[in-house]
Amino acid sequence: MRSVHHDTAGQPTFEPMIQIDMEIKTFVSAWKHCDYVSTYMARMISQNRSDSVRHLNLFSSAFNELLEVAFRTRHADGELACRVSRHGATDRIELTFPCVPEERQFYEKAVSQVAGSEARERYLNSVSGDLAPSREVVLLELAVDYNATLRVEEAEGDAIKLVVDLPLEGLQH
Amino acid sequence: MSPYNLLPRFKAQYDANSQEFSISGVVRPQAIDELGPSLALLREAIGRVRGVLYVNVRRLAQMNNAAFYAFSRIIIDACRARPDLKFVVVTSSVVGWTSRKFGRLTRLEPNITVEEYDSEFYPGQGFLEEGGFVPILRTQTKMTWRHEREILPRHGMRPGIVMADICCGIGDFAVLVQKEFQPSRIVALDHSISSLNYARQVMREFDIRGIEYTYGDASEMLLDEAQFDLVTCRHSLQIFNRPELILKELYRICKPGGRIYITNEKNSHCLGEPRAESIRWTYNEVAKLFAHFEMDVELGPKSRRYLIEAGLEDIRIETFMVTNLDGDPQDFADVIVAWSDVYAGEMAAKRGDGPEFVARFRQGFQDHIFAALHPKGYAGWPIWVASGRRPQ
Repeated sequence: MRSVHHDTAGQPTFEPMIQIDMEIKTFVSAWKHCDYVSTYMARMISQNRSDSVRHLNLFSSAFNELLEVAFRTRHADGELACRVSRHGATDRIELTFPCVPEERQFYEKAVSQVAGSEARERYLNSVSGDLAPSREVVLLELAVDYNATLRVEEAEGDAIKLVVDLPLEGLQH
Repeated sequence: MSPYNLLPRFKAQYDANSQEFSISGVVRPQAIDELGPSLALLREAIGRVRGVLYVNVRRLAQMNNAAFYAFSRIIIDACRARPDLKFVVVTSSVVGWTSRKFGRLTRLEPNITVEEYDSEFYPGQGFLEEGGFVPILRTQTKMTWRHEREILPRHGMRPGIVMADICCGIGDFAVLVQKEFQPSRIVALDHSISSLNYARQVMREFDIRGIEYTYGDASEMLLDEAQFDLVTCRHSLQIFNRPELILKELYRICKPGGRIYITNEKNSHCLGEPRAESIRWTYNEVAKLFAHFEMDVELGPKSRRYLIEAGLEDIRIETFMVTNLDGDPQDFADVIVAWSDVYAGEMAAKRGDGPEFVARFRQGFQDHIFAALHPKGYAGWPIWVASGRRPQ
C-alpha cells in the first residue's frame, strides 16, 4: 500500500517529478516545441505508471493543449516553467508563463467557470460554434474529458501559473 | 538524429471501396492550413460517398484541438448540407481520449455516430477472460513453461534483451520469463482489462519489477516501431480472425534483426490412450467449433507459412507435447475439465448444438481425462512453436 504524505496544512504533498524551464522567446520560436515538450515529459513521468503507454498517451494529449495555450501568450519576455509532480494517482502540472494583465483576467475567469454546472454543456456544444477552439474550451476539455481540476496561482512579475491536477490513473477506459 | 524525428507523423487516406476516410498518427498543427491536403481529401470523400462515410480514427495517437475542430467542422457542415449522409466515427478504446472527444459530435448531429471498434472484439476473448478461467490459464502456462524455458533460447531469448509479450493474458508467462531470463525490459500487452488487473495484482503481491502491463489492441498497437529484440505472442493468433494483422504489428514493433516468437495449437492432434477414437472425434469437433467462431485452433503447423508471408527470415519451428507425465497428471485433467466446461458448455450452446451432440462431445473430454489419470494412460496436448527474424 502506498503511504500518503500530508504537509502541515493537511494538504497532500506532491512529490516533484520533472521540470523544464525555457525562455519564452525560445519556446515560441517553434510550434513543435509544444509537441516535443509534452511528449518528452509524458514519457519521463509515465514509466512507473500501471499502464505506461496509456498514461503517456493521455498525459501528452492533455499537456500539449496547455502548452499550446501558453504558446499563444501575448507577452514576449520572461520564462516558461513546466513542472510535474505527483501524489498517488494524480499528476500535477504547474505551468508558469508570462502574460499580459488582460490575459491573466481571462484565465482567472475561465478557470472559475470550469467547475460550473454549465461547463459540461458549454464544452459539448463548443464544436458547433467557433471556427477555432478557444482557450476556454481547452480548459473545459481538461475538466470534462480528463477529470482535471484547475486553479490559477500567484506568480512573480507579469506571469501566470496554471495548476492542473490530472487523475489519469483513475480514468476509465 | 534527434529522437523526435522518430515520432510518427500523420497520414490521411480514403478507401473508396469501403467508403472509409482514415487518419492516423500525431496531428498537432499550428494552423489549419497545414492540414490543407487532408481536409481536401475529406471533402472529396464526402462528395463521392453515398449512404455512410466511415471516419476511422482508431490509429490516431494524438490530435490537438485545432485539428479536431477543422475536421469536425467539415463533418458537421456536411451533415447539414446532406441529411441523407451518415457518418460513423470509428474510435479505439485503447486510445483513451478519442471516444470522449469525438463523442461530442453525436450531441450535435443525429447523423453522426461514434463506435468503439474493439468494444466487442476478439471472438474468443469473451469465452476465456472471465475470472473462472484464470486458474486454468495459470495451470496451462505452468505446463507449457516446462518446455518453453528450454525452447526459448533457441528462438532469441537471452538475458538483457528488451522484449514484448503481446496478448499477454494474465501475465504469468511474462513473470516466468522475467525470473528465468532477466530481460532488461518487458512490455506485456493485452486487450482484456480483467486479465491485466489480475496481472498487476500478482506483480504487486510478489513485488515483481521490470514488467510494464499495458492495455492495447494487438492488431493496432500504440507501441513505437522497431524497439524490441524479441516479440512473443502465444496462443493468440489462433483465436483471432485475422492473424496476419497481428503479425504485421509484431513485425512493426520488432527491431530489425530481432525475432518474433509465436505458439499455436492443432487441437485435432490432441490425443490419449486408452479411448483414442472418442478423444480424436471430440478434438476434431473442437476445431470445427472454433472455426464457427472464426478462430483457427489448427493454426500451429501453419505458423511457418504465416511467418514467411509476414516477411520474416530464418524461420525456426518445433513442436512439443504437454502430457500427463509432465508433473502432476491432475493438472492435465484440470485443464481438460475447463476446456470441456467452456467448449461443450457456453460455446456449444451459442452455436446451437443439440443435447445429443453435446453429450458425445463431452464424452471425448471425459475420456481424455480418463487417459490422463489412468495409471497406464497417456494424454497429450501438442503445441507448435515458431519464430522468425525481422530482416536487417
